[in-house]
Amino acid sequence: MTAGVAWGIIGGAIPGISGAVAMALALPYTFSMDAATALIMLAGVWAGANYGGSIPAILMRMPGTPGSAAALLDGYELTRQGKAAKALGISLVCGTFGGLVSIIVLIALVVPLGNLVLAFGSPEIFALAFFGLTLIAGLSGKSMLKGLAAGAFGLLLTTVGLDTLTGSLRLTFGRRELLSGVDIISAMIGLFAVSEMFHQLAHPARRETPAVVDARTAFPTLAEFKEVWRATIVGTVVGLIVGVMPGAGATASSFVAYNEARRWSKRPELFGKGSMEGVAGPETANNAVQGGDLVPTLAIGIPGSNSAAIMLAALILHGIVPGPFLMSQHTELVFTLFAGLILVNLLMIPVGVVILRACLLALRLPPPSLVASILAIIFIGTFAADLFVLNPILALIFGVIGYGMRVTGFPPAATVLGLVLGFMVESELRRSLIISHGSWAVFVTHPISAVFLLATIGVLLYPVFLNYRRRRKTPVSPAAAPAGS
Amino acid sequence: MDSAVVRKDVIAAAVLVAFGAAVVAVGLKIPLGVATDPLGPRTFPVALGAGIAICGVLLVAGMLLFRSAPAGPGLLGDMDPEDEAAAEAGPFSLTRLVGAVAITAGYLAAFEPVGYLLSTWGYVLALMMLHGGAPGRSLVSTPPLVTLVLYLTFKYGLRIPVPEGILAPLLSR
Repeated sequence: MTAGVAWGIIGGAIPGISGAVAMALALPYTFSMDAATALIMLAGVWAGANYGGSIPAILMRMPGTPGSAAALLDGYELTRQGKAAKALGISLVCGTFGGLVSIIVLIALVVPLGNLVLAFGSPEIFALAFFGLTLIAGLSGKSMLKGLAAGAFGLLLTTVGLDTLTGSLRLTFGRRELLSGVDIISAMIGLFAVSEMFHQLAHPARRETPAVVDARTAFPTLAEFKEVWRATIVGTVVGLIVGVMPGAGATASSFVAYNEARRWSKRPELFGKGSMEGVAGPETANNAVQGGDLVPTLAIGIPGSNSAAIMLAALILHGIVPGPFLMSQHTELVFTLFAGLILVNLLMIPVGVVILRACLLALRLPPPSLVASILAIIFIGTFAADLFVLNPILALIFGVIGYGMRVTGFPPAATVLGLVLGFMVESELRRSLIISHGSWAVFVTHPISAVFLLATIGVLLYPVFLNYRRRRKTPVSPAAAPAGS
Repeated sequence: MDSAVVRKDVIAAAVLVAFGAAVVAVGLKIPLGVATDPLGPRTFPVALGAGIAICGVLLVAGMLLFRSAPAGPGLLGDMDPEDEAAAEAGPFSLTRLVGAVAITAGYLAAFEPVGYLLSTWGYVLALMMLHGGAPGRSLVSTPPLVTLVLYLTFKYGLRIPVPEGILAPLLSR
């Protein structure tokens, strides 16, 4: 757990290694652990990365993760004013507060939701999984079509191998290695981590190795707490709400929280000039997202972000089928995870203080050493899964695919979601039709299923409607107008 | 719309159509299954292949219909950190990209026959040289250090056997 938090903070502090990439890198090291320990370690990496990203954001105006970008607006100003230690302290303490509250809310919400889904049959589960799939496709990028194509690609990958209902071979091209399908972990590591490293190799960043500021952590005094409490509450609420919404994530929550903290502040004029509330708000939201994000992930098996998708992949890796019945079938595991999440958040403060120097050292590593070392870690990690070189080869192939998706604007997150939900979507769809003797009406006559399908249509059509409205409002430019008009 | 973006989208659309059509062609060879399973094992892959191809067609159609419209703002409007990250990235180098993929493919080919220690040493060194800008000190120290730390972690820490390749006689002493 401590190692997970420490790696998360260091990984998050290194620009280019987001929370999801840090988790993907840690995933192969959980093979030998039991499911609960593996999940808690990954949750530690996730929580750690949320704080770790803020360290370079505050000290060097260089966000380690996208979610920490909002904190640099005031965090770096505080550093320039000689208050770096205080800014780091506020980030750590308020972030921990947001994380803890979000876990308590998670526990309060997941149990009743888990009981509710006990009434679900195959049509409801299919409709729910389908809903989750379209949500991420709609929110994951600027083009819904690209999101849908990426999601369909992920779904397609789950059809490779032996069909579990009939035993037929599908898309194996006669290769024995593909009988058990595409290894989800290798695919995920390739799409997230290998593609990121290839991107850094193909586009070496313009920035030089940063001049590292020597820093320490100073905890806020009671008077300073009174100054930031309003922003902390705002950040917690925003983080929870945005976290529950699949696809929105930490980046959106921290920027929304920054704006809301300014709106609710008694001294909004200080924002952008070194306001402690400007650090507390986004940092609390950044950490509160984790609990909110885990609500749909654990209650109904739909991951709201890349990091949550990796948590679900870890479940699959340990032979546990994620989905609506996770709560009822693995109650002990879920409650162990809750306890672990609370401990992970409590560990953040001591580990965060101790690990700061290591983060500064990691930030001083030359990019060539960093990229090469990370790729070496990735390939030995994927090999360790089953001591077969096919997995690193798959990671390489998906790294190339992921890089191609990145440069053409296709969201790899949608592919990963397709991979995670694909089996559930297909098997429950086919089971529903077997039960209903081929009647598609089963999805409409079951009220819960009908509601989810309606919601799916709504989510798919909403961006189309927004786009249409925006185009109507956009005046036609002279260049686009017909000649002679 | 930026011509580079249009070119990328056209290429992406062509790849989607070709890939989707290939999946449909291969998918149609999957057996139909049993009568009690109305969809059978064939429908899902074929439908997804067709869906991917349709996405490619719609992508091109969308470009032709709405090519003069400006791109919509992202979720975070003008504060999107992904845009900032893109702005920070340096110029694209095809040589570096192809080189990285080729070096990695070579590394994985040598992984078992040559062994972990030698292949990883060479891999890390080759990638650092490909990236460029590494100080000479790093080129000498990083590859053996990374290789040894990972080897010891996996072999003795996690007790996972690592391929020893041509060094097997030496390492098994």
